[in-house]
Amino acid sequence: MKLLKDRIAKWSMVSLLTAFAATSFYAPNAAAHGEKSQAAFMRMRTIHWYDLKWSKEVVKINDTVEITGKFHVFEGWPETVDAPESAFLNIGIPGPVFIRKESYIGGQLVPRSVRLEIGKTYDFKVVLKARRPGDWHVHTMMNVEGGGPIIGPGKWITIEGSMSEFRNPLTTLTGQTIDLENYNLENTYFWHAFWYVFGLAWILYWVRRPVFLPRFLMVNAGRADELVSGTDRKIGMAFAAATLVIVVFAMSTANSKYPITIPLQAGTMRGMKPLADEKSAVAVKVEDATYRVPGRAMRMKLTITNNGNKAVRLGEFYTASVRFLDSDVYKDTTGYPEDLLAEDGLEVSDNSPIAPGETRTVEVQASDAAWEVYRLADIIYDPDSRFAGLLFFFDADGNRQISQVDAPLIPSFM
Amino acid sequence: MSALNSAVRSHAEAVSVSRTIDYLGLFIFFFVVCGSYHIHAMLTMGDWDFWSDWKDRRLWVTVTPIVLVTFPAAVQYFLWERFRQPWGATVCVLSLLFGEWVNRYFNFWGWTYFPVNFCFPAILVPGAILLDTVLLLSGSYLFTAIVGAMGWGLIFYPGNWPIIAPLHVPVEYNGMLMSIADIQGYNYVRTGTPEYIRMVEKGTLRTFGKDVAPVSAFFSAFMSILIYFMWHFVGRWFATVRFIKQS
Repeated sequence: MKLLKDRIAKWSMVSLLTAFAATSFYAPNAAAHGEKSQAAFMRMRTIHWYDLKWSKEVVKINDTVEITGKFHVFEGWPETVDAPESAFLNIGIPGPVFIRKESYIGGQLVPRSVRLEIGKTYDFKVVLKARRPGDWHVHTMMNVEGGGPIIGPGKWITIEGSMSEFRNPLTTLTGQTIDLENYNLENTYFWHAFWYVFGLAWILYWVRRPVFLPRFLMVNAGRADELVSGTDRKIGMAFAAATLVIVVFAMSTANSKYPITIPLQAGTMRGMKPLADEKSAVAVKVEDATYRVPGRAMRMKLTITNNGNKAVRLGEFYTASVRFLDSDVYKDTTGYPEDLLAEDGLEVSDNSPIAPGETRTVEVQASDAAWEVYRLADIIYDPDSRFAGLLFFFDADGNRQISQVDAPLIPSFM
Repeated sequence: MSALNSAVRSHAEAVSVSRTIDYLGLFIFFFVVCGSYHIHAMLTMGDWDFWSDWKDRRLWVTVTPIVLVTFPAAVQYFLWERFRQPWGATVCVLSLLFGEWVNRYFNFWGWTYFPVNFCFPAILVPGAILLDTVLLLSGSYLFTAIVGAMGWGLIFYPGNWPIIAPLHVPVEYNGMLMSIADIQGYNYVRTGTPEYIRMVEKGTLRTFGKDVAPVSAFFSAFMSILIYFMWHFVGRWFATVRFIKQS
């Protein structure tokens, strides 16, 4: 027996030390938002975020950061995801490390859910105010009811300073200026403490006398009525009456202190203003598309027709927040997250300018480790194995034409 | 000689042992109810109790008393029937609130930094006191179900109003009318809780204009009567002493 006890003690000590070592010497932060694990087809075929800009990469507490850009609600919205009849422009951050001061779609403040139209493009802006120091991954994000979160690109932003300096002032319509960080806090603590003590007093009145065994024996002996005295009943009545009086008094006091209150505001906002439809002057037909698994490369055969009046070249292929660029045509200067940017990831078999009226068939290859890192290659395991994205064509003056592609994708394992 | 007599050597020792059992029993009872009632509360009322921008005058008022009258009904039966103790409902809500505050303070605030004025739990003590005192004064489960559970449902909203009234003061926020609670929900980002899952102010109860809270409270009170009645049978089942008789 002693041997067994010694062994248990020994191994318990070893386990404790192992657990201590494992948690003390290496405890990395979990900072991701699951963006890589979301089904690839969902990221490719729902919301396309582009022209994104994060106004700052380092901010101090109370400073603001603006995220601006556009999102296109893709025409080939998958059947397995509910249409965005009710969607919410959210932000992917680890808790309220920033507060969301403002968010707009098409210039309209959107504190509530909205209805989006498939096929339309909207501009958006989110204003965040720094609250908690640290390095935070900040994602654009659209929640769709029946679809879940559709996460956009994320960028690291550093907040410097101390959270104790954070303020969130607000002026009510009754003229009171408050700080939301601590508004109503004392009142909340007071009423909870008051009622907790009140409830404890009720219990203590009873448990100052024997609680379990003697009373159980008395009840079993048929003498339960002797356990509740007339005084007990009077105390009970007093507690009940005091409860009613205090609640009525507290409610009327609250009503006189806050005579003007409104219900919570709710309901889907409709009529979001999309950007004006600009029909692309470049028509693109996908002849075929394959994904070569070992090479982490997608190849497309495209027939491109330039219906515009200026020659254009293909500069970018965008899908699921990953941007494949042909740096001879277009270079990113917005500080887009590096892990989502393949600056020379786009190869076009003939990327000389396509003249107005010309139709040309080209082979396009988009290759980068991002296919694997962002698990876009997993599209071959999706129930509807189609890829989708946006193609950006540029003329000599830097003007842009956007065409979308949506076609089946055949994997190649050789 | 009975087993009880043989366990102690004097009356003073018997009293001492009895009190020790009381304190241990109360401690264990408090935390067992805390754990089980807390899980029940999280699974049934969940977000309605987590956030100030879910505490509306329709669904929060309706749902919370109905789903929370359960454990008080069962524990009341157990403590009253076996020990003639009329504090079953109060000990339930105090243990629940203890667990809630530990959760809200250390998890919501200490871990993820949501301000406590945004994620405080609801006050439940007034309703529990009414349930307990009605049972004490009537000694009847039926009367407690009808009068006590109705009081439990009716007093919930006025009991919480002193805390939530300041959060319903109107604000003009960038051209929109919002309550302070709405702004809390908007400002303090909940990445995993999009606005559309917020179940507030839904329903067809529009003919009462702005005075829907009393109607919701009455509906909640009626349902609380029914749920109390059902759950007191759970207490009856848990309070069985058949195994003691058998031994």
